[in-house]
Amino acid sequence: MEQLGILQRSAAAGQNRFSVEVKHVSKSYGETEIYTDLHFQLLRGTFVALVGPIGSGKTTMLNMFAGLDKPTSGTILVMGQDITRMPEDALGIFRANTIGLVPQVQTLIPELTVRENVELPLHFAKVDPETRQRKVDYVLEKVGIRGESRRVVSTLSVGERQMVSFARAMVNDPPILLLDEPTEALDPLMAEVILGLLRGDNLTLGRTIFVTTHDRRVTDLARKTLRVKKKIP
Amino acid sequence: MSRGISLQEGQLLARSLKVSKSTHLLVASVAAAVAANAAAAIQMTGTVGQAVLLVLIFVTLAAGTSAICSDIYARSSQTIANLRSLGASSSSLSRAVFFSVIGYGVVGSAIGAGLGAALGLALGGQGGAASALVAVLGVILASSAAAAAGVYAGGRRSWNS
Repeated sequence: MEQLGILQRSAAAGQNRFSVEVKHVSKSYGETEIYTDLHFQLLRGTFVALVGPIGSGKTTMLNMFAGLDKPTSGTILVMGQDITRMPEDALGIFRANTIGLVPQVQTLIPELTVRENVELPLHFAKVDPETRQRKVDYVLEKVGIRGESRRVVSTLSVGERQMVSFARAMVNDPPILLLDEPTEALDPLMAEVILGLLRGDNLTLGRTIFVTTHDRRVTDLARKTLRVKKKIP
Repeated sequence: MSRGISLQEGQLLARSLKVSKSTHLLVASVAAAVAANAAAAIQMTGTVGQAVLLVLIFVTLAAGTSAICSDIYARSSQTIANLRSLGASSSSLSRAVFFSVIGYGVVGSAIGAGLGAALGLALGGQGGAASALVAVLGVILASSAAAAAGVYAGGRRSWNS
């Protein structure tokens, strides 16, 4: 069994030292086989990049880690919890508390303001209003969009929306951060802000980061790079 | 930590799912129309007839609110997928729709039942004012329960599909 990444000192003694454990996972859509008998673990606090051609199943793997897609067979443990067999409502609360997801496709709610969008995961995680306000202010400040907090998302540029997505993923201090092509479609300035955060800012330090990317600047930051070679027919 | 949803969360979710003033008005109007007719008719009939009318109110309003709820979910399927990725559960979404819609259903049915009861009295309904009051209460109760059941059933069905 392969162990990817390094073990951070922050992992408390006695805790499971893996943030994600993939056990004999296969995934197929109908007749199309995406993955067969995947078996690996991610140590807590590691930074792993997943690269591969478009359509090779990178997003599928990310979605399986987030519990948004289930493997056809096998088990995925996230922070020691088997998310493949977790009831839907429990999985929702677990996801809100454990995983920060920055999807490739913008998933912000266009009718809501920046602040409201960033605040949503905290509602689902049942965080009290005072803590919500503090956490939202902190994360908006860190990603440099606090001044835009009252703007409705539909009025933002693509780059600004990506920053809001990133802030929303980080707001509840999740131990695991999943990013799907985070620098794609960003101008160099915005991309540099994201790269700066991934380089080891307080906001991302100590978290397990799993990122799909084609961007060499992102893979250079990762401790380990996984390659998916096969393009699904 | 509570497993319920706060008013603020409910409002945020309702806005995310595009539950608008038009939806509120639609629910209130349908409830008012059904309740007005039932409250008037209930005074013109005996016990068996009244029971049948209350059952009819329940079934028709439950079906209506369930359909409205399903429509809300169908229009917002992508939003629901997005909210799921953030940790939303079917229960929190159902409750958000429930609380933002149910109030208008109750207000609509109360207004409709009042108007229907007055009409029933004017048309010479049996039992006078006491009977009219019972009709109003019965209709409000049946329509509120129907709206609640309809919203919840519609939400669950849409989530599972």
